[in-house]
Amino acid sequence: MVKVIEHKVSREVKAWLKKEAAEQKERYKKIVAEQEALSPKRDKWVADFLERIQSRGFNVHADMLRKIPAAEIPKKPRRKFKVVF
Amino acid sequence: MARPHIEPFVDRDVSFKKMTLPGFPKGMHYKMLSMDTDTGASSMTVMYENGYAQPPGMSYADMELFIMSGYLESDEKRYTPGTYFWVPPGVHMPALRAPRGCVALMFYNYAEPSFVESDSDHQLAERDHLTIVNAYEDMHWTSTNFFPATASGCLVKVLRFDQRTQAFTFLYCMTPNFWQDNISYHDCAEEAYHIWGTSWMMQFGNLPTGGYFWRPPYINHGAFACKLGTLALGRTDSQLYNHFHFNPWSTPEENRERAGARMLAWKPELYRWIEQHGGHNHPHVPNDFEYDGQGDPHAIAHAHGVPHDHGDGHHDHEHEEKPKRRRRSRTK
Repeated sequence: MVKVIEHKVSREVKAWLKKEAAEQKERYKKIVAEQEALSPKRDKWVADFLERIQSRGFNVHADMLRKIPAAEIPKKPRRKFKVVF
Repeated sequence: MARPHIEPFVDRDVSFKKMTLPGFPKGMHYKMLSMDTDTGASSMTVMYENGYAQPPGMSYADMELFIMSGYLESDEKRYTPGTYFWVPPGVHMPALRAPRGCVALMFYNYAEPSFVESDSDHQLAERDHLTIVNAYEDMHWTSTNFFPATASGCLVKVLRFDQRTQAFTFLYCMTPNFWQDNISYHDCAEEAYHIWGTSWMMQFGNLPTGGYFWRPPYINHGAFACKLGTLALGRTDSQLYNHFHFNPWSTPEENRERAGARMLAWKPELYRWIEQHGGHNHPHVPNDFEYDGQGDPHAIAHAHGVPHDHGDGHHDHEHEEKPKRRRRSRTK
C-alpha cells in the first residue's frame, strides 16, 4: 500500500509547517502548565481510585471486578508525578 | 519526537484559521489539533464556508474525513453528518460543494495536507481501498471486542481497519453513567475527538465536546467515567491492546518494559525467535511473506526507529535503497 506519493514540498508549505510546529510547541507548554495546576485535584482523584478498587473492585476485564488487597496497593514514589510526556 | 503528547486540548478554545496551503480552494478554515513535526501529518478540525466549492482532486498522502455537521455534496450524492471517507493517496475525488457550510475532522496520516486539482487518479493510486460509509446511518454499535475489554457501556463502530498494522479508526460512545476503574495504556498511539459529550479521566480531568487528545504509546490514562454520555471519533496507528493495571504513578518506560515482559509471557516462542535471530544489539525485523519485498528488514528497523548498533556502539552507515516490488497477494 502506497503511503505517500513522492512530491516536492514547496517553500510555502515548509513555512506553513514551521509556523504550525511553533504554535504546537506553545500549545504543548500550555497543556503542561494546566495539568500541573490540576495536581491537587488529581491527588484526590487518585486517593479515591485506590479506595474504590479495594472496596468495589478493579476492572480486570470488562465488568469483571477484583477487590485489591491493601498489601497490593502501590505506594506513591518520591519522583515528580507527571501525566503529560 | 514526531508528535508530542497533546492531551487534553479543547478546540472550542481557539478560532478557525484560513487554510493557506497551496492547492486548497478558498473558503476552507482549520484548527490544528496535532501535527507530526517530521512528516507534516496533521489532524485538524475543518470548516467549509457556505458555498464552498472544491474541484475534483487528490492528495499525496491518504486522507480521512469525518463530517460532524452540515453536509458536502457531489453531483451525485449528499454526504451528511456521520459520513466517513478514507481516501488513499492519489485517488481523486469528484467536485465537492458545501452549499450551507460543513464542519468535519480531517486527518493526513503520512505527509502534510495537500490538494492537487485532478479529474483522474494518480498512476500509483489504489482506488480499491477507497472507503466511504455513513457511520450514523449504516452501521450498528458493537462491543469493543478487544480483550481485556472496556467495561460495558463503551461501544464502537469500526470505520476502517488496516489489516497489516491493525491501526483503526472508529466511532465510540460511552453511555450515561459509564465508569471503569482501571488504568490503561497501549503499545500504539491513540487519538480521539469528542463530537459530543464530556468524559473524565483520572489524569486529565474532564474532556468536553470539542475535546481532543493525541497520546503516544505507554502513557497511563484512566480510571474513566462519563455522566451524561459521549460520542467521539478515535484512531490508532497500530494494534490497540488494553494493558490494564492500577499503579497511578508508573512511567511510560516502566509501562513499556511491562508490555515487553507480558509479550514474553504470552508468546514466548515468537519472542525468543525474534531475539535469537537478531541478537541483543541488532534486532531482526522479520519479513512478512504477504508483503514480500516491501523493504529490507534492516531498513524497516531504521524506519521504525528500532534502536541498535553494530557492536561498536556506533550506527552511522548508510543503506542502499532497494527497488520496491509489489506484494504477491492481497487478502481482503
